[in-house]
Amino acid sequence: MSAGKILVVDDDPQIRRVMRATLVGHKYEVIEARNGEDALIRISAEIPDLVLLDMNMPGLNGLETCQHLRSGSDVPIIILSVRNSEKDKVAALDAGADDYITKPFGMEELLARIRAALRRAPTSPESGPHSVATADLQIDFDTRRIHVRGKETRLTPKEFDLLRYLVSQAGKPVPHRELLQAVWGPDYGDEPEYLRVFINQLRKKIEPNPAKPKYILTEPWVGYRFAAGGDLG
Amino acid sequence: MRDSRIRRALRVIAASAIVALVIAFYFRVASVNNTTVALTLLLVIFGISAWWGLLEATIASLVAVLGFNYYFLPPIGTFEVQDPQNWVALAAFLVTSVMANQLSARAKRRTREAVDRRREIEGLYALSQSLLLSGSARTASQDLVSRVVRILGVTTVAFHTRLTHETFRWGPDDALISDEQLQTDRDEALIDRSRGVAIVPVRLGGQALGNLGLTGPLPSEAVLNAVAYLVAIGVERARTLEEASRAEAARQSEVLKSALLDALAHDFRTPLTSIKAAVTSLLGQPRPDAERELMTIINEEADRLNRLVAEVLEMVRIEAGKLHLEKRPQDVSEVIDATLAELKPLLHDRPVEVRLQDALPAADADFDFVQQVLRQLLDNALKYSPSGSPLTISARAGEGRVVVSVADRGSGIDEQEQLRIFDKFFRAREHRFRLPGTGMGLAIAKGIVEAHGGRIWVTSEPGQGSVFSFSLPVHRGEMVS
Repeated sequence: MSAGKILVVDDDPQIRRVMRATLVGHKYEVIEARNGEDALIRISAEIPDLVLLDMNMPGLNGLETCQHLRSGSDVPIIILSVRNSEKDKVAALDAGADDYITKPFGMEELLARIRAALRRAPTSPESGPHSVATADLQIDFDTRRIHVRGKETRLTPKEFDLLRYLVSQAGKPVPHRELLQAVWGPDYGDEPEYLRVFINQLRKKIEPNPAKPKYILTEPWVGYRFAAGGDLG
Repeated sequence: MRDSRIRRALRVIAASAIVALVIAFYFRVASVNNTTVALTLLLVIFGISAWWGLLEATIASLVAVLGFNYYFLPPIGTFEVQDPQNWVALAAFLVTSVMANQLSARAKRRTREAVDRRREIEGLYALSQSLLLSGSARTASQDLVSRVVRILGVTTVAFHTRLTHETFRWGPDDALISDEQLQTDRDEALIDRSRGVAIVPVRLGGQALGNLGLTGPLPSEAVLNAVAYLVAIGVERARTLEEASRAEAARQSEVLKSALLDALAHDFRTPLTSIKAAVTSLLGQPRPDAERELMTIINEEADRLNRLVAEVLEMVRIEAGKLHLEKRPQDVSEVIDATLAELKPLLHDRPVEVRLQDALPAADADFDFVQQVLRQLLDNALKYSPSGSPLTISARAGEGRVVVSVADRGSGIDEQEQLRIFDKFFRAREHRFRLPGTGMGLAIAKGIVEAHGGRIWVTSEPGQGSVFSFSLPVHRGEMVS
């Protein structure tokens, strides 16, 4: 049985070859797209479990492709790019990517990140609540459904896991490192920009006023805290 | 001259004839009282005076007085003036003619002046309009002189610009203005109306741009100054335009350069990515030792090539002034802590002492880049001092700068090499073939520090060790608590 279906989007055929050889060797099913437009067609036909997306491509570039993919799917996306500035990483995460890896990379690292992206925290953690209900927010962790002011809202898996972890620790400040490792995996911890971007996106989706959050609060120099305004069940 | 005298004589005759006609008309045709005759004559003289001039009017009034006296004042037929009241009539004719003439002369002068002013203003306007059309500074100067000639109606115009020390002339060469006169610095205009020569300084905002020389029928001084001012604006405008287009060209070449850099980064790293991915993929599987060793070499060399590409790109970026610093008030002790944490595996056998001055002010710095500089200095200290020897990192403030130093107990650097150590590709003689490195690390560190507005230097005593220091500007008005 395959460990998951991965869509590799890169304009360089050699990179696609290496990826295919390696990923197939690790029991993944691999489909390829040579550019952004191709990726958008492939994704609806094949429904992959994960997308490895090159940033620098002719035509629709990685960021644009990522935005298009994200508008119709919550498939985990890992951006591969030769740039390693924080600005580029934030731009990629803002466009909807779940992770970012700088080229050239070691295959072990990429495989670890693929595993982290594919891994979902169990749907009902022992310690955490099963649902949250406040005046304008209903979250059902078992069915992974969330309603904001009565309207069903879609969260990407990483956003959902982040929210769930914060809720499971409701009232307590969660340090950056702990949050990164709980949501992304044990190899993470030095990517505060990931949290910045994802917390912003979560706030946009669930806060009545994202500029003055009332649920997801920043604890300066420490991390973030979920303010339990409602009943946890 | 002769023409105008003949015209005047004709006008005198005509004026006298008109008066004679009026007198003849009243004497022969219409019989009216003397007052009517006198008033009619008065009007006629008034008219002559207003339209023609004083001489014509005076002679006409004499004719009128004589005629009026002879034909209408008793005793009629004689020039005798019986009644003294008739002298009043005579005086009235004369005074009227003089007054009317003066009034009309003044009005005419005013009109002429107004017409002249209008013409001058039209000229200045045309000149200012034409200034907007001129192109480069050089063609603009040539254009300007020809336009001044055409618009002001002077004979020749010469313009000397201090910008390029060129002289532009237009019109026939009358040799009235020498090059030397044009090149002399002057505060005030030199205007010689008798020779029809003027040299006006061309200034803008107190800055002398050159001199403008004109010959021929000169306009008023105000107009000359205005023309000089317009020329100054025109020349300055053309120069600014030229500079702006040069700046635009430079900007476009910068855009091209960074596009090239990006392409370079991408094109070098793409094959490196495939190599690295392939070899690390192979290394991830169980292998015999010999194979593993060879693959490890491929992997390490791919990393080295990648570092090299990164360094070259960084160097090019620094040299192109394209380093994007995100400066914030930065506590350098944080940078030191972060760098030490990062280099921990390399520092395991080194006693590291950190000496921080109390109440160190925040530096205006980009955290990542400053960390890169410090990493480079620590890297060097580790490389060039014996293992186990201590390192000292210190930070102090003074003269608006925060100075960070890294001291080692290595072999030191001789004076010759100290001078060149921050040069690109420079490698110390004794280490050149012994230790890995590209010789770009310190050059990049220097570029980064200088981009911050700081300085990097080394003091060293051969045999005692070296101290590498760099300074960063203090963030204004903020202290790190």
